[in-house]
Amino acid sequence: METCTKCGNPKIIIKRKQSGQTLCKDCFVESIQKKIIKTIKKEKLLEKGDNVLVALSGGKDSVTLLDILDTFRERNIIDICAVTVDEGIDGYRQDGVDIAINHVKRLDIDHQVVSFKDSFDITLDEIMDNPEHRGSCTYCGVFRRWIINRAARDFGATKIATGHNLDDETQAILMNYLEGNVDNLTKMGPKTESKSLLFAPKIKPLREIPEKEVGLYVLAKNLEVHLTGCLYSEESFRGEIGEIIKNLSKNHPTIMYSTLSGFDKIKTALKNEHKNNFQFEKCSICGEPSSNEICRTCTFLNELDKKVVL
Amino acid sequence: MNFTLIFNDKKEIKSLNKDTSIKNVLDEMELSSEIIIAKKNGDIVIEDEKIENGDEIHLIQIIYGG
Repeated sequence: METCTKCGNPKIIIKRKQSGQTLCKDCFVESIQKKIIKTIKKEKLLEKGDNVLVALSGGKDSVTLLDILDTFRERNIIDICAVTVDEGIDGYRQDGVDIAINHVKRLDIDHQVVSFKDSFDITLDEIMDNPEHRGSCTYCGVFRRWIINRAARDFGATKIATGHNLDDETQAILMNYLEGNVDNLTKMGPKTESKSLLFAPKIKPLREIPEKEVGLYVLAKNLEVHLTGCLYSEESFRGEIGEIIKNLSKNHPTIMYSTLSGFDKIKTALKNEHKNNFQFEKCSICGEPSSNEICRTCTFLNELDKKVVL
Repeated sequence: MNFTLIFNDKKEIKSLNKDTSIKNVLDEMELSSEIIIAKKNGDIVIEDEKIENGDEIHLIQIIYGG
């Protein structure tokens, strides 16, 4: 009978194919916490006195992120605030919003729920009704970033923390590589800082944790989470890449780790070789930092015959 | 011999063959163990776990596309 590699408990909840390790519930939870804290220290993601804005959807990744960051808050190292973006996806988003609210109430954290409708006078469902749309994820990514950056300034946040996990990061590396999007590759990493002082640095403490282990963590800790797929996700290129990586991982269980660590090794060289000289100006419509006269959010909104609600 | 299977809010009684594991059930349902976590009688278990007469198996999908 297999037992926990660390303590000998016969009740194991995971057999890690990548290392051969078998772990019981307590040792697994501890291993995830230690690994995330190690990433935070190694990459210097947090500094004492930081006010960290957590992008909290109520899904497993952001709830795990909040759970771990709260241990830093408990020790008075950082303060935490949170924002939940309501994209306007009927039959999907409200459950996540409710769960996010439950967590921030439980932890007594400052929180905003900001909707596409309130910010842009249009929901994602309404955008997707337009046959000329650019694809759900394109709008969602750009609009969410706009809302989160604004929320960070409203809260006076010094960092923005997102729940990107190892699967997300590996998918993004492959997607950008396959699309030849070197500019996007140079912007990736555990901590990304913008030239514009109006954008708080973004950190990704979960980037070395596989998505399945994040799911196991919330179940092992009995954390309330929204476990449903986005209704529009099947349309995305990311979804296709995710499938390829999952299939490869069956026979090559370390492939996501090697993709990420390989990328981390070439990241600096890539950045130096592809320096961009963008000068941030203000978007002439919404006033957000933009390297063009009109930012991407306002460009998309123009196409939709809408504008930012200021 | 049988067991109770819970998946996607549906509960059903399934007949049980000797030496059936969670992995066998996942294979039969064409579900990848990469996206599912299983609980047996309320406890999280690995996919090699054998199912016994009267067990309640809850399959929880934790990864969705996108």
